[in-house]
Amino acid sequence: MTELWIAVGIALVALLASMISVEFGVSIAIVEIVLGVVAANFFGLHTAPWVDFIAAFGSIVLTFLAGAEVDVDLLKSEFKGSLLVGGVSFLVPFAAAVLFAYYVAGWSWRASEICGIALSTTSLAVVYAVLVETGLNQRRIGKLLMSATFVTDFGTALALSLLFVKPTTWVILFVAVSALLIWLLPKISPWFFGRYGDRVIEPEIKLVFFLLFLLMALGKLSASHAVLPAFLLGLAASRLYAAHDLERQRLRVVAFAFLTPVFFIRSGMNVSLAALGANLGLLAALFGVKLVAKMGSVLPLARGFVGKDSIFFTLLMSTGLTFGTISSLYGYQAGIIDKAQFSLLVTVVVASAVIPTVIAQRWFTPKAQADEEGDD
Amino acid sequence: MYTKILVALDGSKGAQKALAAAVELGRTFGAELHSLAVEGKLPAYAASIGEVDEAKAEKDAFFERIDREAVAYAAEHGVELHPVKMVGDPADRVVHYAEEGGFDLQVLAARGHSLAHRFHLTGTADKILDHSPCSTLLVR
Repeated sequence: MTELWIAVGIALVALLASMISVEFGVSIAIVEIVLGVVAANFFGLHTAPWVDFIAAFGSIVLTFLAGAEVDVDLLKSEFKGSLLVGGVSFLVPFAAAVLFAYYVAGWSWRASEICGIALSTTSLAVVYAVLVETGLNQRRIGKLLMSATFVTDFGTALALSLLFVKPTTWVILFVAVSALLIWLLPKISPWFFGRYGDRVIEPEIKLVFFLLFLLMALGKLSASHAVLPAFLLGLAASRLYAAHDLERQRLRVVAFAFLTPVFFIRSGMNVSLAALGANLGLLAALFGVKLVAKMGSVLPLARGFVGKDSIFFTLLMSTGLTFGTISSLYGYQAGIIDKAQFSLLVTVVVASAVIPTVIAQRWFTPKAQADEEGDD
Repeated sequence: MYTKILVALDGSKGAQKALAAAVELGRTFGAELHSLAVEGKLPAYAASIGEVDEAKAEKDAFFERIDREAVAYAAEHGVELHPVKMVGDPADRVVHYAEEGGFDLQVLAARGHSLAHRFHLTGTADKILDHSPCSTLLVR
């Protein structure tokens, strides 16, 4: 298959995914992953180096956007609770999944670390959609959930950047440049946006892309991953984007029209149905490890913070999607995990976006109208 | 015969017919007329907050336009329409709103505005009929 036909195939899958997403009200990301699985396993669509490259950049842009979507004021207002819940929500499932993959499934230590990172995540967007739909984003439970998820996301980004780093001089440059950019971006952006903003040629988006490509290049030189600095760079720009919503919207348009479809479709294309079929027991076990570890660690804390709504809270903290997929794809492209392991992890990640959400919404949704003590 | 009528709106052609029927009934019986537009679910299992925010903004704008057009249509026919907009499961919201508002008739479209919505609204109409607290007129 020539590269151009691969492009035709991916563009068709992206188009179909967006139509299905609109018709059935399901997130575009999940549809893209599922259609990527179908296209690769049943229609022979395969990847090319340029697809892998755009997918990797798409994951970094998604991470930047995730950082830019953090509500810093909300995080500050719930800082202690979110640090505790979000920290535990990352650490315990991470440890449980690493130990399970290493000692029970027999994966290598590095592959087990990827497993731990992929299964420790919480999906901010899945949580946010449920909260907005139920009106709970205005209540304390919603605010704590959101801010705890920011912390868990940070833990994931931190682990992905630090665990695989090789101690070379490039690391010093990577850290120094990352720190400089994170410090500098919020300082120069008001001037840059004022001077060059609101033009169809989009210098603001080009600035962000330049910085992200630079981080990716330095991350590669130091055998690390640009996900942490990209997340922090987004976080540093979050107030700016809150004040320039149109700019954020334009960046999303570029990302969702081209970059993230390639990332999610590429992730789906890596999934081997044959490998999944041969490892159904392990698939169920990994999903169980994530759910049990989240329930065992977050539920006791949630009882103290949100009382009778603790099961709803914990189920939403058990969701995962974007960072789980990013971690898995990084592990696969870096040769840390094989195709079967990647297939298992991405399937568990997608299942964790759907199953805990459905259970939480069906049986445990708190009444939005209730005015409880401590609510705003 | 009817003193307080509720019509469910979703922007479909079917809902326009339901609105026309409700306006006619409201004028005939001199009934108080209310409309309820339920925005429905946001994209499930989203990958970014942006996707959710933009879907919500699109729905807000869409349903605000529907409300404006419905109020104008009713006014043209000499009836005052009281529009309400909610988020959530359409069937649950319509049933609860009709129950809490003490309505004695609700008017629904049998079919929505897209392939998926057709299936969805058929299910919605079924659910509303099953749990309806008052008389229901299903407009085809």
